[in-house]
Amino acid sequence: MDLLKVDGVTVEFGGIVALSGLTFNVQQGDICGLIGPNGAGKTTVFNVLSRIYEPTQGSVTFDGVDLLGVEAHDIAKLGIGRTFQNLALFPSMSLLENVMVGAHSKGRVGFVRAITRFGVRREDRQLRETSMALLEAFGLAQLAAHPAAGLPFGTLKRVEIARALAAKPKFVLLDEPASGLTHSEVDELADTLVRVRSEFNLTMLLVEHHMSMVMKVSDKIVVMEFGRKIAEGTPAEVRDNPEVIRAYLGTDA
Amino acid sequence: MALVTIKRNSPQHIAVRVLGVLLVVIAVLWVPTKMTTGNIDSMTNALALVIAASALNLVIGYTGLISIGHSAFFGIGSYATGVLVSKYGWGHGWSMIFGALLAFVFGFIVALPALRIKGIYLALVTLAVAVLFPTMMKWPKLEWLTNGARGISGIRYEELPSLPFLGELKGRDDRTVFFYWYAIMLVIITVLVCRGIVKSRMGRALIAIRDNEIGAEVMGVNLATTKTLVFGVSAALTSLAGSLSVARTGVVTADGANLTLIGSIVFLVVMVVGGAATITGPIIGALVYVWVDNYTRTASASGEGLIGWLFDWSAVSPASIILSVALIVLMFVAPDGVFGLVRRLARRVVVIK
Repeated sequence: MDLLKVDGVTVEFGGIVALSGLTFNVQQGDICGLIGPNGAGKTTVFNVLSRIYEPTQGSVTFDGVDLLGVEAHDIAKLGIGRTFQNLALFPSMSLLENVMVGAHSKGRVGFVRAITRFGVRREDRQLRETSMALLEAFGLAQLAAHPAAGLPFGTLKRVEIARALAAKPKFVLLDEPASGLTHSEVDELADTLVRVRSEFNLTMLLVEHHMSMVMKVSDKIVVMEFGRKIAEGTPAEVRDNPEVIRAYLGTDA
Repeated sequence: MALVTIKRNSPQHIAVRVLGVLLVVIAVLWVPTKMTTGNIDSMTNALALVIAASALNLVIGYTGLISIGHSAFFGIGSYATGVLVSKYGWGHGWSMIFGALLAFVFGFIVALPALRIKGIYLALVTLAVAVLFPTMMKWPKLEWLTNGARGISGIRYEELPSLPFLGELKGRDDRTVFFYWYAIMLVIITVLVCRGIVKSRMGRALIAIRDNEIGAEVMGVNLATTKTLVFGVSAALTSLAGSLSVARTGVVTADGANLTLIGSIVFLVVMVVGGAATITGPIIGALVYVWVDNYTRTASASGEGLIGWLFDWSAVSPASIILSVALIVLMFVAPDGVFGLVRRLARRVVVIK
């Protein structure tokens, strides 16, 4: 079953076409790699799916819901989590609190209940426990009370993944999770992603430049160039596709 | 490294907290029993600033929305109490509640631009509100309601209610004591509201908005409702301070210090000097501000000492000038305000793990 259907999506900024008629599907339970040279429009796809950019054409269906009719802050409630290429953590908050905010869409306490303290302690205690468990799963438990500011990029990348999982999403968008990691850490991350997928019953869309990792974990890969899809298929198919080789390596003169 | 490490929720930690609460209770009781009438009145004034600065802290300190329009919300509370009590015979309590509701609505409306603009641009919109408010109150077409530039005077509690423990209150001293307790009650309400919001899912959402708006939105924080509601709550609390001040002085004029732009700046200074994005900060800030205000006012009036020599030309208190300079210095030595500095120093001695 297709969890996500992107159909003919075009995004224009003034005269610049960032995405042009992009069409692809992601199957339930798959890890789908999204690759392409810099400027191909991969992050733009993420921003369309998070409802930060408004497409000029096309449709996006997630789990049977027309995504373009949903407001940005309700995306999390539908079960879509994401990480950011250049981090969008909350620097003054502790790692634990960052992950707790990740579960915001699952929370019930609004201003009235906050002021009257109705059920606040219980909600916070449960959140604290589940968030702590997530930090432990990513090997960050000992840093739980540390503010996000001042930690290494690679660590914060992991915090973002933990935060994206806090709301128990069905679908996660990972924007270059391996950037800033060492080679051994990249391998470790690949294992973690595969493990987390089965543990949380997740579907993933993965933007990544570490080719070996993408090839290893993806069930399917979509290749983009200049806002268009140039190839799609299993890692083996994509690797041998002449269009892909041309896009990455150029053609002989 | 700290000298002492205490475990969270251990008997020692609880003892420290009980001691802290005890000290606050003693201080609160000490003011009306041991201080002179004038000083009690100053403390009540400080408590009004605690309310306004705590309210502003929700918007600026936690959510990161710059507002210098809060003097208008103070004004809404002041005029609501002034007009309703003197012209329509309402009770002070009801006029205060009405003012808070009105301020909530206005705060909500003023926050609407905050959905589109941020930082300095939002500050400019709120600046317009601060400048507009006193002018509106002096508008001839509203004179039937506001008495124009003359303002409203003689707004008093005719008969003070009798308080538990203190009994019947009569005379000037007892009136001062009564308003002190009235202010303490409002401060407690304000602190509970602010603390309740901050230590909850909504409080984390506010800080998330301040730290990274896009990140907050993707996590499911509804930016529009969160920003407008926190602005409304903040405005409503600020109006309580306005109602309190009017009840205390019995006068409201459109050019009253806290109703004009100066008021907004004072609230901001109090918040930043005390420590933004903390609950205790505005309390400390207000005490520091009122102390400096009183000290410099006396000094400049008598022309004694350095302060007197510097400011003997000034009819108004030079506290805002002095505190502005102090603020610049403070940004270097203690960017988290006085409370932040104290906390940092205390953590060298005791750490709670």
